[in-house]
Amino acid sequence: MNGLGKIWLLVFWVVAANAQKPFFKIHELGEPFQKAIPEIIYEDNNSALWVGTTEGLFLYDGIEYRPYLKEDSTSNHVRSIFRDSKDRFWVGYEDGTICHLARHRLVRWSIEEGSPKVPVNGFTEDAKGNIWISTYGEGVYFYDEKRLYNFNTDDGLLGDDIYVMQAAMPDQIWVGTDRGISKCTFSNNRKSIENYTSQNGLPDDIVKAILINKEGQLWVGTYDGGVALFDPAKKTFSRPLPDRHLGIVNCLEIFEGTDLWIGTQDNGLWRYSLAQGDLSPLPSLENAKVTDLLRDIEGNIWMVSSTHGICSANRQFEFIPTDIENVQSVLADSKNRLWIGTPNGLFAHSADRSGANSFQQYGPLANLNTTSLYEDVFGNIWIGTFGDGLYIFQPNTGAVRHLHTSNGLEDGNILSIDGIDDRVWIATLGGAMEITYDQQVIQNGDLGFRSISRRDNLGTNFIYKVFIDSKGRAWFGTDGKGISVLENGVVKNYPVAKHEHQEGKSDEDYQLHAVYSITEDKKGGIWLSTDNAGIFEFDGDHFTHLTVKEGIRDLEITSLATDANGQIIIVHPTGLDVLTPSSKHLIYYDDEVGVHDLDPNLNAVCTDRFGNVWIGGKNKIIKYTALKEDLEIHPRTFLNNVSVFLEPIDFEETTVFSHQQNNLVFGYLGIWYTDPQIVKYRYQLTGYDLDWIESKDRQATYSNLPSGKYTFQVTSTENDAWADEPIVTYSFEVLPPIWMRWWLIAIVLGAIVGLFYLYQKNRDRRIQLVNLLEKDKVESQLAALKAQINPHFLFNSFNTLVSVIEESPQLAVEYVENLSDFYRKIMQLRDKEIISIQEEIELVKNYAFLLEKRYGKNFKLHVNLNGQQTYIVPFTLQLLVENAVKHNIISKSKPLKVDIEMGEEGYIMVKNNIQPKLTKEKSTNFGLQSLSQRYKLLGNKKVKVEESATFFKVSIPIIE
Amino acid sequence: MKSYLTIYCLIISCSLLAQGAAKYYTENGTVAFSSEASLEIIKATSNKLVGTIDPVKNTFTFNLEIISFDGFNSPMQKVHFNENYMETERFQAASFSGRIIEKVDLNKPGVYSLRAKGKLNVHGVKQERIIKCTVKVEEGKIRAQTKFSILLDEHGIQLPKIIKQKIAEEVIVQVDAELEKQQM
Repeated sequence: MNGLGKIWLLVFWVVAANAQKPFFKIHELGEPFQKAIPEIIYEDNNSALWVGTTEGLFLYDGIEYRPYLKEDSTSNHVRSIFRDSKDRFWVGYEDGTICHLARHRLVRWSIEEGSPKVPVNGFTEDAKGNIWISTYGEGVYFYDEKRLYNFNTDDGLLGDDIYVMQAAMPDQIWVGTDRGISKCTFSNNRKSIENYTSQNGLPDDIVKAILINKEGQLWVGTYDGGVALFDPAKKTFSRPLPDRHLGIVNCLEIFEGTDLWIGTQDNGLWRYSLAQGDLSPLPSLENAKVTDLLRDIEGNIWMVSSTHGICSANRQFEFIPTDIENVQSVLADSKNRLWIGTPNGLFAHSADRSGANSFQQYGPLANLNTTSLYEDVFGNIWIGTFGDGLYIFQPNTGAVRHLHTSNGLEDGNILSIDGIDDRVWIATLGGAMEITYDQQVIQNGDLGFRSISRRDNLGTNFIYKVFIDSKGRAWFGTDGKGISVLENGVVKNYPVAKHEHQEGKSDEDYQLHAVYSITEDKKGGIWLSTDNAGIFEFDGDHFTHLTVKEGIRDLEITSLATDANGQIIIVHPTGLDVLTPSSKHLIYYDDEVGVHDLDPNLNAVCTDRFGNVWIGGKNKIIKYTALKEDLEIHPRTFLNNVSVFLEPIDFEETTVFSHQQNNLVFGYLGIWYTDPQIVKYRYQLTGYDLDWIESKDRQATYSNLPSGKYTFQVTSTENDAWADEPIVTYSFEVLPPIWMRWWLIAIVLGAIVGLFYLYQKNRDRRIQLVNLLEKDKVESQLAALKAQINPHFLFNSFNTLVSVIEESPQLAVEYVENLSDFYRKIMQLRDKEIISIQEEIELVKNYAFLLEKRYGKNFKLHVNLNGQQTYIVPFTLQLLVENAVKHNIISKSKPLKVDIEMGEEGYIMVKNNIQPKLTKEKSTNFGLQSLSQRYKLLGNKKVKVEESATFFKVSIPIIE
Repeated sequence: MKSYLTIYCLIISCSLLAQGAAKYYTENGTVAFSSEASLEIIKATSNKLVGTIDPVKNTFTFNLEIISFDGFNSPMQKVHFNENYMETERFQAASFSGRIIEKVDLNKPGVYSLRAKGKLNVHGVKQERIIKCTVKVEEGKIRAQTKFSILLDEHGIQLPKIIKQKIAEEVIVQVDAELEKQQM
């Protein structure tokens, strides 16, 4: 090692770590809101981002900003945004007003105690669900769902101007003021405040930022004293950050275990590495006035600044620019140094304090076509070259040892190096080699060589990649014959990817050609990439094939690597894919995170001791950091509106539509901030669509939906794989028109049946009635006939006749004539249903003549009817007269008097005095009953019978 | 920064001296309460509210003898009110004292909507409250008006369930007081 080399070393290792930076992109508010200055950013519990500006509140979906403005004329200058555990959305304004956002409307929060009159700049919630509200000028408010309470200087708070408020478990609230930090608690109706100031070690009393980490410690950002860490258990402050001038610290954000981000008023954005302890500014954001920082659920860091607007970067990807186009290998060593191998030799990375990067060609190893790099357990760098064998290099001393075909190697073209403990394997174009070494390797110590070739069952002697797995097995990626593995000194070759044959699955065994890259997941599964068939997972027995169908978007895969979380990083010219081995879920990263125009070389990747993956590309080195936080791997899908004939409806409430409301538009959104434009949608209206419909549109239209029950389902993807994406659904019903509803149809059918039934019943009744009438008539005729040929009547008549013949033959002739008239009339009238009243009177008079001759003056019939042309049922009056004669005593002392005259309206009245016979005549009561029945059947008025002690009266309705 | 503070303090103390210890005072402010339960409305009024407002410190104290409430529906109701609910013999007065949240100059005429933060003592139980009020400052006079609610169980006034039909759990209190400036 000459003097020049030592000088080179001194200049070289200033600082290399953390010179890489993420790729920030700007999210402009857009034309209509140009005057708005964004000040704060908030991620709600649905992982949607809200931006508070001087001109109003905005929801950002990654593509556009949706404004939410107050409905009154008060200030729209948003100072705080919060969504509580009850899903209430709180917005605090510069003028002290507080609004709730409910159903897309900002509604003023009104409370008996009144609103603050000064800016409301923070909300938080304690573990008991109480809401805390911080103000700039009135201290802190506390709301327990009933009353609003206040903490201010009167209660012992250090100041009424609160800059920042954070909730800590279980119910402590920390606030930063002009005079230090205060811990507020409110329990059992008692306020308590603990204060910590510069007297306790706080670097500066003005505290503008507080961040509570996972351990419950407070990162405190001050006005003039930088950032301090406060341990509430020990009540002590420490200052772990290097002493750099940060100026006013406005905000803090943390990626647990990785880094703390610091937003300053005048000195831009800074980052403090929690693992390595260094603090550096983000070069392009040096002048930003940072007002807020946010880490989102996808691993993006968001910065809000009055100078740069809203910017975001994916924290997982960082970049070191270089003018080297052809990076053939990358190594991040155990001392955090970064090496890259190129066709023009080995380069080492350095960066100055400002973060400017450079790559220095290391003189002694210049012009070596460096294809592969490896760091052994003693910190030596092994350099594989193309054609020039192997160099072993100790960076601390500059010592170099060269191995070539002349001193042990089978072949001088080394494409890959890997090792474990005291052994290194190299992959060459002439088979593989196992090299055993010890600490003296750099000082020409003894080496053991073992060659592995086709003779040992290696697939071919053309080896692209060697990979040592966690079990110490050496895997070789061959050109043309698949993968080979060396285990316990025996090589096994797998030229064919045998699938696990499951029933119903007909995957063909796949002939493996070239295997380019190999890695291992956390469960010990081996993953390999091939020249053009995607990747395979090999569990020792079977292969699982992942190709375009499973979401691999570029089959020209150059490298595989495994990160600290056990995820597989797939490198190809289009970008990077991150694969979760268990679920086979893929996330794509490219232009949006800064990965573009990569043009990667085979296996120009390495995983460092922290599990970060370094990837060499054209003019850039990418560092991929596996974040420890649980990141969301799916876009969040929302149904954000439903319109009926383009009129938005309250779809959270309305799920039933009339048959006329059958033109529906569903608006939905998949939020994927990492790459909003890549999101694709798939929807299906079950009950209508037979299959899913894929689309880039953010709305689906259905017109003329027939009535029925439907469920609208929508899901979004960022990687074309739908299988595990969450689905959002909305069920609704379009009612049939009123004339199609089952109950109406039932009622109408019922009514028809009922009416028919009634009609039928009525008809039956009428037929029955007619039949009855007929029967009664016949019966009554029979009864009348019977009565008249009653032997008793004839006997009486003949007795009377005999007595009359002797007294007056003239009268006897008259009597016989009357008797025969009477019988003739009965014969004539018996078939008629009705007869005129005159005919009936004639008959009665004939009958009365016969009776008068028999009873003499003891029987008197008096008929007084006017000559109206009316009708009557035959024999009615005769029957009544006969009844009177039959039932009453007729004697000189008790004469029977029968009157027939017009009764009340429409009636003829037959009335006789009552003088019942001592021995009652046997009566069937048939006559009167039959009479009533017949009148009833004729449908006329009823026959009325009145009986008193002295008279008996029957009223017969007249038939007009 | 700190020199500014000193100057500010100086100015404040000077103005304090100039004004002397003038306070606003009243002893005949009106307090009316109403309890509107489903079966009965109880209302009563007192004109004996005593109070001071210190315009320099922005503090206030108000005190009211409970026995001075009058105008009940019946004499019986008044007895009940004092004996059963307010326990007036034990807890003779109600009070509210504290400080005004807004930093406002109460010597300057105008109409202000202010919030008074303090301890409300009713029935011997102190509750911290923020009470919104309208304050009209005229030359030498302050008129303070407010309307707020008191929840009985917050002040340890226990009611059997059956009585809750007659006495609302929330009582609405209205205050109207005119305070005059007095040198003390």
